[in-house]
Amino acid sequence: MNTVNFVSIPASMFPDQEILVFGEKRLTYGQLYDRICRLASVFNQLGLKQRDVVAVMDTNSDLYVTAYYASAKAGLTFLPLNYRAKDPELEYMVNTAGAKALLVGPRYYEQIRRVRPKLATVSIVLAMGEATSDFPSVERLLADASPQEADAEVEDEDISVLMYTSGTTSLPKGVMLRFQDFTAYVTANVEMADGSDRGAALVCVPFYHIAGMVAMMTNIWTGRRIVLMPQFEARTWLALVERERITHAFVVPTMMKQLLDEPNFSKTDFSSLTNLAYGGAPMPLPVIRRAIEAFPKHVGFVNAYGQTETTSSLTVLGPEDHRLEGTPEEIERKLRRLNSIGRPLPDVEVKIIDENGNPLPPGQVGEICIRTPRIMKGYFGREDDAALPDGFRATRDLGWMDEEGYIYFAGRKDDMIIRGGENIAPAEIEVVLTSHPAVEEAAVIGVPSIEWGQTVYAFVVPRPGKSVSPKELDAFCRARLASFKCPENYEIVDALSKNPLGKILRNELRARVSAGSA
Amino acid sequence: MANVLGKRYMCEKCGTEVLCNKAGDGTFMCCDVEMKIKEVKPLPSSD
Repeated sequence: MNTVNFVSIPASMFPDQEILVFGEKRLTYGQLYDRICRLASVFNQLGLKQRDVVAVMDTNSDLYVTAYYASAKAGLTFLPLNYRAKDPELEYMVNTAGAKALLVGPRYYEQIRRVRPKLATVSIVLAMGEATSDFPSVERLLADASPQEADAEVEDEDISVLMYTSGTTSLPKGVMLRFQDFTAYVTANVEMADGSDRGAALVCVPFYHIAGMVAMMTNIWTGRRIVLMPQFEARTWLALVERERITHAFVVPTMMKQLLDEPNFSKTDFSSLTNLAYGGAPMPLPVIRRAIEAFPKHVGFVNAYGQTETTSSLTVLGPEDHRLEGTPEEIERKLRRLNSIGRPLPDVEVKIIDENGNPLPPGQVGEICIRTPRIMKGYFGREDDAALPDGFRATRDLGWMDEEGYIYFAGRKDDMIIRGGENIAPAEIEVVLTSHPAVEEAAVIGVPSIEWGQTVYAFVVPRPGKSVSPKELDAFCRARLASFKCPENYEIVDALSKNPLGKILRNELRARVSAGSA
Repeated sequence: MANVLGKRYMCEKCGTEVLCNKAGDGTFMCCDVEMKIKEVKPLPSSD
């Protein structure tokens, strides 16, 4: 079905229910849907045709939500651009997607003016803030338009969102997500709104990220008021939890750490907060342990693992697995399990395979393969979507499964270290290093070696106020890891380079090592 | 049993799914059999 139904159906039943809060603006289903219908009408008046691409370059806002659903209503493909993109990346995304229209937030007017001559397919640029001499205002056009009644007749196979992945290793790839991918995810995982109070969700992840995009859909469909932040900022996040009586929130690991470090944390009233989910990048064990201790006991933590290519979450580690209670043996088992990404969601099958495609028994590291009705249509303009003949998709993530079906992430396949013919998953070493009481974070890479092909090189960030020496780390690893897995080199650093989601930029670390040895 | 607002129904014979956005007294039928309700397993996460 058309995803605009996530708004239009509840709006027809509960038009006066408040569903979206942004700053001082508070919109009911009825008000939001009216704006969506007007903007869909604007898109048609501007000559946009079904399946044309509309791009948005801005931080989160109510207008951003309106723009997505108006695109869906008009049958357009929506391209949420990474607002941190530099000029060449921006040009690459807009040009490869062939975007016809571009909606731009005030912060990016100058950047768009600069790159505009290179955006050959873009014929319409609209301002999401005040109008300028060159960009007409969306709000003005919207106010003057009459609401469009009819939805475009979209096919389930049509692309609703073209989402460029974060690309830690290469140029971003455009993931084509269909209307059916979102409807499968949303209707399988949340109940439709029924007029009852389903709480409030604080959405601070950017809409150019899959977690932001699906949060925009699930919460609206289920009738959970969305409180939007333009961007994450720890102090404001805490204030909003308290003021808006937030029940649900999602953060990436770097945000969780900033929340714990924020002086206002201890003064915040968390009594409404029941679900705090995290994901987007592997969570360092010391950070989640701190979070479990610092938040009140009624807060249920959820680790969600997924990919843009699979329309968000595949596996979850639920609140029960985060409660560090029970006998000493149970607590130890739960602590180990905090490294896990949990078990598959009901509409997901998982298998771990070796290099020849054979399933591996529990405990052995291989590639995580998944099958679900919501795998992307493919990468835009490319053929390398790694689909297997049996309908499974190779994720290029490594992992292993324990006897109880919990899955453990072991790094990206491309980051695998091969030392003297032995495969070493960086995450396995990083888990050991971060279990050292003086270690905050660690990143392990393979570096070229004439003798071994590759050797293991570890970057280690000490915990604030602590210090640790390579010698101590070496003794610690040797007591816990097979000798071939122990790092040959340790470099103590203040911080690790990361992308905006908190994923470690291993290419930068590799470049740093090769520059140092050159 | 009458249809329930907001629930998905599935035909076990042909796989058709329908969503009820206004409930009445009737019952969905497909392939000559009553359609079965398809339960949602709520995600414990925020999304």
